[in-house]
Amino acid sequence: MPKRRQQPDASRRNFLKGAGLVGAAAAAAAAVTPPVAANAMPAASEEKLKAALPGPRQVVAETVPPANDPVNQSTSGGDFMTDVLNSLGIEYMAINCASSYRGLHEAIVNHANNKPEIITCVHEDIAVHMAQGYAKIEGKPMAMACHGVVGLQHATMAMYNAWCDRVPVLVMGGNIMEADKRAPGAEWVHAGVDIGQIVREFTKWDDQPASLQHFAESTVRAYKIATTPPMGPVFLSLDAELQENPIPDAESLRIPKFVPVTPPQGDPAAIAQAAKMLVEAQNPVIVCDRMARTPAGMANLVALAETLQCAVIDNAGRMNFPSRHPLNQSFRRAMIGQADVILAIEMNDLWGTLTHFSDRIVRKSRPSYKSDTKIITLGVRDLYLKSNYQDFGRWQDVDLDIAGDGEASLPALTEAAKRLIDDGRKAAYAERGKKLAAAHLAMVERSKTDATIGWDSSPITTARMCAEVYNQIKDEDWSVVGTAIRLSWMHRLWDFKKPYQWNGGSGGFGVGYNLPASLGAALANKKHGRFTLAFGGDGDFMFNPGALWTAAHHKIPILYIVHNNRAYHQEYMYLVTMAARHGRGVDKMDIGTTIKDPNIDYATVARGMGAHGEGPITDPKDLAPALTRAIAAVKAGGPAVVDVVTDPR
Amino acid sequence: MTTFKRIAVTAFAVAALGAGAASIAAAQDAPQGNVTNGKRIFLADGCFTCHGRSGQGGAYNGPAPILAHTALPFDGFKGQLRNPSDDMPAYSDAVLSDKDIADIYAFVQTLPGPSSPKDIAILNN
Repeated sequence: MPKRRQQPDASRRNFLKGAGLVGAAAAAAAAVTPPVAANAMPAASEEKLKAALPGPRQVVAETVPPANDPVNQSTSGGDFMTDVLNSLGIEYMAINCASSYRGLHEAIVNHANNKPEIITCVHEDIAVHMAQGYAKIEGKPMAMACHGVVGLQHATMAMYNAWCDRVPVLVMGGNIMEADKRAPGAEWVHAGVDIGQIVREFTKWDDQPASLQHFAESTVRAYKIATTPPMGPVFLSLDAELQENPIPDAESLRIPKFVPVTPPQGDPAAIAQAAKMLVEAQNPVIVCDRMARTPAGMANLVALAETLQCAVIDNAGRMNFPSRHPLNQSFRRAMIGQADVILAIEMNDLWGTLTHFSDRIVRKSRPSYKSDTKIITLGVRDLYLKSNYQDFGRWQDVDLDIAGDGEASLPALTEAAKRLIDDGRKAAYAERGKKLAAAHLAMVERSKTDATIGWDSSPITTARMCAEVYNQIKDEDWSVVGTAIRLSWMHRLWDFKKPYQWNGGSGGFGVGYNLPASLGAALANKKHGRFTLAFGGDGDFMFNPGALWTAAHHKIPILYIVHNNRAYHQEYMYLVTMAARHGRGVDKMDIGTTIKDPNIDYATVARGMGAHGEGPITDPKDLAPALTRAIAAVKAGGPAVVDVVTDPR
Repeated sequence: MTTFKRIAVTAFAVAALGAGAASIAAAQDAPQGNVTNGKRIFLADGCFTCHGRSGQGGAYNGPAPILAHTALPFDGFKGQLRNPSDDMPAYSDAVLSDKDIADIYAFVQTLPGPSSPKDIAILNN
């Protein structure tokens, strides 16, 4: 491996050392002059400084060419690393620049002409969250680079969200592995023996390559592991020496061939058994969460649901099912209580979905389904779990557990079901479908009716906010990539029908996700010419407002609506609950839970970051014109923020 | 599900669907309440945090019912506050007196319930 400062030097550094000796000698000579104060630096004699002659080492330094400490190099490990990243088709690398990966950074900019394109972020949490949002739209990872110790600690929350959300992100952190190569000071406090351990509990895989060939193989391996369902973030520690120094043996290096893993399908016998159970059921219900991972996913689920004419309850972890499909019963959760067979596909929290849980003093729970309901699971989530963080949720009894990627297994399940459906069943299914369609329509009408309450109120109701936005973007090729906590009006009122029109939530409920992840999704949408928009809470916004500067700098078009209820509202409600439980004052629960006095002006914050800003909008009549102006700014190619002062939910 | 819970759930479902004659009857059976004080309590004691300032409903751990012009009888309304179903906090007499509840009830009766979405063009996209 290349070495730093391997030999005693006689070149530039010794030249500087020579100059230092001259200065020291001059200072020593001047020491005879009494200082004017106890802590004053003794004055050097200008005459003596001028009179100092070059010593023999300085003469050598100035006349002998450097031997063992070259100042230029013609190859760079970083160049090869960049070639590896580009072999994988990685389009972007989000960074907050840091010296520990300066070799790679410079190589990307100069060797590869900024490919992958560097996305400058003002915090590592923003960089990883951008990569999370990007991957869920584009279907592939982007890279992120950070300082290996301090930057990686900043990145951890976003990496945990990506882990919980099962999203592939390639995170890289610079490090200086060899202790004798670290400069005094920051390079020591920014280095670690095993920096991957910081994030190992919430990454699928990590490595610290010790050679360039090792880097190539580990990067391709990391990419493959990250993109194989169940997907997840991966981490590579990048040795600074490896990045910066010349390539010792270029002829021996090769970039491994990447071939994506074909996602595993469920066992044919198990699929056949599931099909039989579903076909014979009177009231089968499909529940799903992070099912669709490609544009084919939604179509596959629609095909199965229409074959069975059964209810679909979508937990919206991805764009799984059209919102206005007649079989969409997502806002009729009571359907679970009527089901005789439940097919659960790629569920994140199956127990929580099938259980009525009471957040009371005694935290009681009971199943939402009947005691004789049969439960089938299809998914890969449980194929890769870890121990410490408990994101796997509570144990759920099931009757048939099929290990297989949901999206990949659906066509076989649909075909198996079709083979079992005779004409008699077809008629019964059609009747079932009609009832579900009527219930769906009633649900939509009910949502519209509910939305009218408080229509002209100030603060603005969230229903009106969502209706006003939809009215102005409905004819665009839109993609909504973020929402505030429990803000569901879009899914109740809007017509979601394209695979990129929704991409799920944060995964780990780690606040600070929404703004930067939405920008990442917008970055992916940009080249497809889609109109990206997102809603986000004010609390979330304030975790990473600097993300707006990145959006402005890189000209990422996005309409970002701040659902500004001036509170960490869920916590506000929890505090009211606590006070009521304890039988004491409930009128001071805004202490520590609200974001007011002073109120934050998010439009001004946005303008300060170079984005278009509108608001604060308090009168619902002002909302439509503000949206029109903001949409024009987005179409001009940049980010726009509309601060809507809203009722809580 | 207990009988009370069944009634409460049913009643809230009715409330969510709107008001009409049932609401008028319910209001007539209720004790006289002070609307102004009811509004003050509704906003100060956090009722609005789940149910919205317009009583339009919202979400806590699950959906929070619509209260605007509620059709829930006063006894059912009071029962839900004292011994609620689901995750709604229980408001004891030490926190909310019967008089306070009557005032809140009077206030939510004044909140306009839903109207026809057909009258709002942008709800018909």
